[in-house]
Amino acid sequence: MQVRQPINKGARRSAREYVVCRQEDLPPGRMVIAPVGKFGVGVYNVHGILYAINNYCPHMGGPLCSGNVYGTNLWDDVRGRAEHVLDGRIARCPWHAWEIDVATGVSVADARKRTRTYDVRVENGEVVLTR
Amino acid sequence: MSGLLIDAAVQPFCRDGREIYDYMDEVNRDRGFPDVESQWYQAPGGDYDESLYGKGYPGSDPEIASRHLFEDDGVDVAILNPRTRGNLPDFQLNTAVCSASNRWLAHRWLDEGNPHGRFRGTIRVNPEDVPGSVAEIERWGDHPLMVQVGVPLQSRDLYGRPRFYPIWAAAAEAGLPICISTNGGAGLEYPPTPTGHARTYSQYIAFMAYNYVYHLLNILTEPLFKEVPGAVFVFSDGGAEQLTPFIWKLDTLWLGVRDQTPWVDRPPSEYLKDHVRLGFSRLDKPPGDSVPIVDWLAQTGKEDVVMYASNYPFWWRNHPDDLYEGTTKEQTEKVRWRNAGEVYRGVTAEAA
Repeated sequence: MQVRQPINKGARRSAREYVVCRQEDLPPGRMVIAPVGKFGVGVYNVHGILYAINNYCPHMGGPLCSGNVYGTNLWDDVRGRAEHVLDGRIARCPWHAWEIDVATGVSVADARKRTRTYDVRVENGEVVLTR
Repeated sequence: MSGLLIDAAVQPFCRDGREIYDYMDEVNRDRGFPDVESQWYQAPGGDYDESLYGKGYPGSDPEIASRHLFEDDGVDVAILNPRTRGNLPDFQLNTAVCSASNRWLAHRWLDEGNPHGRFRGTIRVNPEDVPGSVAEIERWGDHPLMVQVGVPLQSRDLYGRPRFYPIWAAAAEAGLPICISTNGGAGLEYPPTPTGHARTYSQYIAFMAYNYVYHLLNILTEPLFKEVPGAVFVFSDGGAEQLTPFIWKLDTLWLGVRDQTPWVDRPPSEYLKDHVRLGFSRLDKPPGDSVPIVDWLAQTGKEDVVMYASNYPFWWRNHPDDLYEGTTKEQTEKVRWRNAGEVYRGVTAEAA
């Protein structure tokens, strides 16, 4: 039986770093909201890569990260047809369905609209967010 | 004043119900089909301006129409769009009627009735017959005075649907915008409102043009402009005031459900200037000085898409001066000729 190591969740390694959870508690396809900042920060594992965005929709301030995560459809000019892309990378705001790319924080429809992104990494089996 | 004046909507008629038969092909010459007078909704004193009745139907004599438009109203170029009474149940007959209309217009109005060279024409096609429409556009597309393709507003399907794309592609290939205008009254068509037929003339006329909204919403959300990037649509019956609330809604919704229509790769409102024009008549304006016309025209870019449309010889026809009071010089020029000059080939150069 594997022994789960206690982690120092919520610990601030420095003024700018925050331990979100154990690495194994954030498997691919999952998201954890870290109580950082005024609205919280959504930390996503997208196919093994971690991303973090502010839980604040650039449209009207909705709780962006509490919506579902999807891919999106974009027009492929070469093939001349719609393609499903960025699977698992698009957070959909539960208020008005705006699509935000969790890797960049940018709205798919309007690149001028974006939410803040954060650096996030794994260190010693822990997910560490930099504010 | 402010340069040219292009009249984007003039409806020429035959002198009487028999004239068009001279232009029908032999196979269909003995068939009966509906006359140009409308059936249900009549303006007081008839659909057409009472002063225009002479020897034939109003708007049926090129010489008289030329005097009214070019001398009295100061129009430089008038775009003629005949009516063909909509989608006839026999679609082959309908195509024949459209062909006859095109031969008639080319002969009576663009040739013998056009010594001044100021009339331009519309290639009428039958959208229920896609190959027939394409053939008709190929037949007339090179005619130097045919400047648009005409289809009825009262269609049996929305014009953004892929089955119509071959027609729009043929028009775009020929450099012609597609004019969608009221043209029914005897063919197969839906009632003019979602809840059926209007009771009176005023209810009919106040609503009818708004049917363009359904076509526009569909055109802007189907992959039409990916498939036919050069397509331009003219809604010559007007209704520009509805553009603002609907384009607001469409832009707002697009931000949330864009992934359902990924071929729409920018806000729908950004397609308007390149792909859409609307006729602009006194029925479209805010009444009196209820709203400042300068602001009204600027809102959601209406000033970039409206074109002066007299609707001669209809009862509600307007004179150019009805439209510009209170507009800026730039807006006046856009309404008078710039917006039309961007979509109709040759109209500004030849008129100058």
